[in-house]
Amino acid sequence: MDKRVVITGVGVVSSIGIGRDVFWKALTAGKSGIRPVETFDTSGFPTHNGGEIKDFSPEDFMSRRRAQLVGRASALAIAASRLAFSDAGLKLSAGDKEKAGVILGTTMGETQVFERINYRWVKEGEQAIDPVWLPRLPANVLAANVGIEFKLKGPNLVLPNACAAGNYALGYAADLIRAGVTDVMLAGGTDAFSKIAFTGFNRLFAVAPEICQPFDKDRKGMMVGEGAAALVLESLDRAQKRGADILAEVAGYGISCDAYHMTAPHAPGIARAIRNALSESSLVPGDIDYINAHGTGTPANDREECLAMKEVFGSACRDIPVSSIKSMLGHTMGAASAIESVACCLAIKEGCIPPTINFKTPDPDCDIDCVPNSCRRLKVEFAMNNASAFGGNNASVIFKNFVL
Amino acid sequence: MNAKRVAITGIGVLASNAIGKNAFYEALFKGVSGIKPVSLFDTAALKAHLAGEISGFNPQDYLGQKGLRTLDRSTRLVCSATKLCLDDASLAVTQENCGRIGVAVGTSLGSISSISGFDREAILEGPGYVNPALFPNTVINSAASQVSIKFNIQGFNVSVSNSFCSSLDALIYAAQAIRSGRIDACLAGGVEELCLQTYLAFYKGGLLAGLKEGAPELSCPFDKRRNGVILGEGAAVLCLEELTHARKRNARIFAEVLGSGRGFDPYRLNKYYTRADGLKKAVSAALEDSGMPAGDISYISCAANSTWAADLEETRAIKEVFGAKAKMTPASSVKSMLGECFSASAALQAVSAVGAIERQTVPATVNYRESDADCDLDCVPNTARETQVKNVLVNAVSLSGCSTSLVIADFGGQKDKNAA
Repeated sequence: MDKRVVITGVGVVSSIGIGRDVFWKALTAGKSGIRPVETFDTSGFPTHNGGEIKDFSPEDFMSRRRAQLVGRASALAIAASRLAFSDAGLKLSAGDKEKAGVILGTTMGETQVFERINYRWVKEGEQAIDPVWLPRLPANVLAANVGIEFKLKGPNLVLPNACAAGNYALGYAADLIRAGVTDVMLAGGTDAFSKIAFTGFNRLFAVAPEICQPFDKDRKGMMVGEGAAALVLESLDRAQKRGADILAEVAGYGISCDAYHMTAPHAPGIARAIRNALSESSLVPGDIDYINAHGTGTPANDREECLAMKEVFGSACRDIPVSSIKSMLGHTMGAASAIESVACCLAIKEGCIPPTINFKTPDPDCDIDCVPNSCRRLKVEFAMNNASAFGGNNASVIFKNFVL
Repeated sequence: MNAKRVAITGIGVLASNAIGKNAFYEALFKGVSGIKPVSLFDTAALKAHLAGEISGFNPQDYLGQKGLRTLDRSTRLVCSATKLCLDDASLAVTQENCGRIGVAVGTSLGSISSISGFDREAILEGPGYVNPALFPNTVINSAASQVSIKFNIQGFNVSVSNSFCSSLDALIYAAQAIRSGRIDACLAGGVEELCLQTYLAFYKGGLLAGLKEGAPELSCPFDKRRNGVILGEGAAVLCLEELTHARKRNARIFAEVLGSGRGFDPYRLNKYYTRADGLKKAVSAALEDSGMPAGDISYISCAANSTWAADLEETRAIKEVFGAKAKMTPASSVKSMLGECFSASAALQAVSAVGAIERQTVPATVNYRESDADCDLDCVPNTARETQVKNVLVNAVSLSGCSTSLVIADFGGQKDKNAA
């Protein structure tokens, strides 16, 4: 019998708040983190807004030396991890640390480090490359830095599965616990605000000029954001033995690939991930009480995602609340589905569903109940978190209200 | 226990010393080195000039003419390796099975030249002038995603980033997905393209061989003269398949994937940890997971990449875990011929391991001349050796503290052929 996996702590660093309580309060209040971009000069771009974290000081979460040594995506991940451990009330013994591991998702890796090195190389040539920055580049440093900070010696790797990466990381971490490889894992996702992503999405005309309006008829696109989330996963045995406060159980997950297009989402692939998740969790569509949508706010994504949900859930689709917190945070890339997983766990724990803000005009292509503009009290037994990514990669995770 | 078994039923490989499985095995056992002066970019201004570059690579030979234009070298390499692998496995991706086949590719940061080139355009010309068709290439999982699109593989598509260990971790991810019943088969491996950006990064980071006065620009693992890596490139994809699925379609079974192990030394990002705790843990865990003592390993495909500390670290780990058996177990590094192929290295080692099993021969560590008392394993110096090869341990070690090990075993091919 495979081991059951539960979530015992969460940490979030986001544009609407840092830490579980602040984040949840902001999320349920429908607070937006979208503001004019300050990381770089946007004057050459057609749009100027994004979801940056303005009040993050790495030194609050790590030594000044470490803060200087790591890139922003790692710093965000370390901060989210520290918050998650503290939320879980977890004190790991030396023995625990031998097996405890870290799996993180990302889209861009240490993008600001890359951009910094590349800028100097392009502008001033090879001699301007500062070797100190080079080891901070490969994507795996995100997990490595978290492993180093907390001295975790178990499995340590990064799944760079673009905008669904957080769910892939969470799913794989759960697999490793189920299989008995380890009994405590930190899983999540992180991405720092990326000029390359901002450039690329703008050139694809996928960025909204002012606000992100998922499922709205007049939605104009996504919003580039940044953030990190980490979840503490433990085997149920372990969590119960130490008397942990269990937020939710990982019921199961499903992954799929559209094999269709690099950037265009495709309903049949999304539907397959959802069905795989249901089947692995031994659930039927009617069991799901809340869906946290990928909901980027681009015309194509929201249309295809609604199509996929209708295909799986049929006419019952309109009775299931579906919200997109990207309306508040923008698209935090590799962190997105990790932050959304946190939102699912908290929806279960708190009995409340976060809204889709900025919603004005219904779209017949998206005739779902998107929990418009204000949160809703509701008892949630099963919450589903859907994510899609570049390359047609989809991942859906189902969280369950923990009962013995 | 009725745990599912994972068979290796196909191999696709593009390496600097040969393209295609059989040519690669020939080159490997003859000790042919793929290391040569770099032709892809100019190294005149640098103190290093060699790399394990793939020459004579024509992607259209494998992928046809259509749709190649916007694909970067990483994508072309891994798609070509996938094509070779599917052919070798005689596995046809159909409407019926495409949802039960996955893709898992190891990569450190995707195509670094693509990311850099896209950003360069934006820096020099302005963000409004970049080619949007090249934006998808900047995403780290782009190459793996193109594999899925090109071959209609819909089960899943995962990229794994773990520095030098990336592609071994991709194989482990794939095997786990098969054992848990998520899919029936997975095309798993890794890719690394040689480009100026990565070369410069290794160069500026002081990781390349030949940078110090009098030090030879040579990949010579375990040799006293070792002083850094020769960077290489390559793509290797293995078809991992659930055993009953493979048998049902009468697939040739070249080897079997057994247990794996991982360890992490949480100390430094840019330094080999010569106490080797993480690697010892990875090796021990892989043996335990495979249910075998160290003495059952007939060959070790080493991660040793001709870096002073890396080879020392691996020697120490093997000696401590294998004890008295350490010096009796052939332990060679194919990086002596291929260079350090970064995220592709471990997949190339895995292919070499299957080759060793298929040909009952262990590849040599070439360029071996001056022995180092601290690296006193049987590194199979300079000449491949015919011997009984049953279980192969594949090691991967990274500069950032990660270690990964995997056991690949002889499936008993003869017996299986008789049974079929």
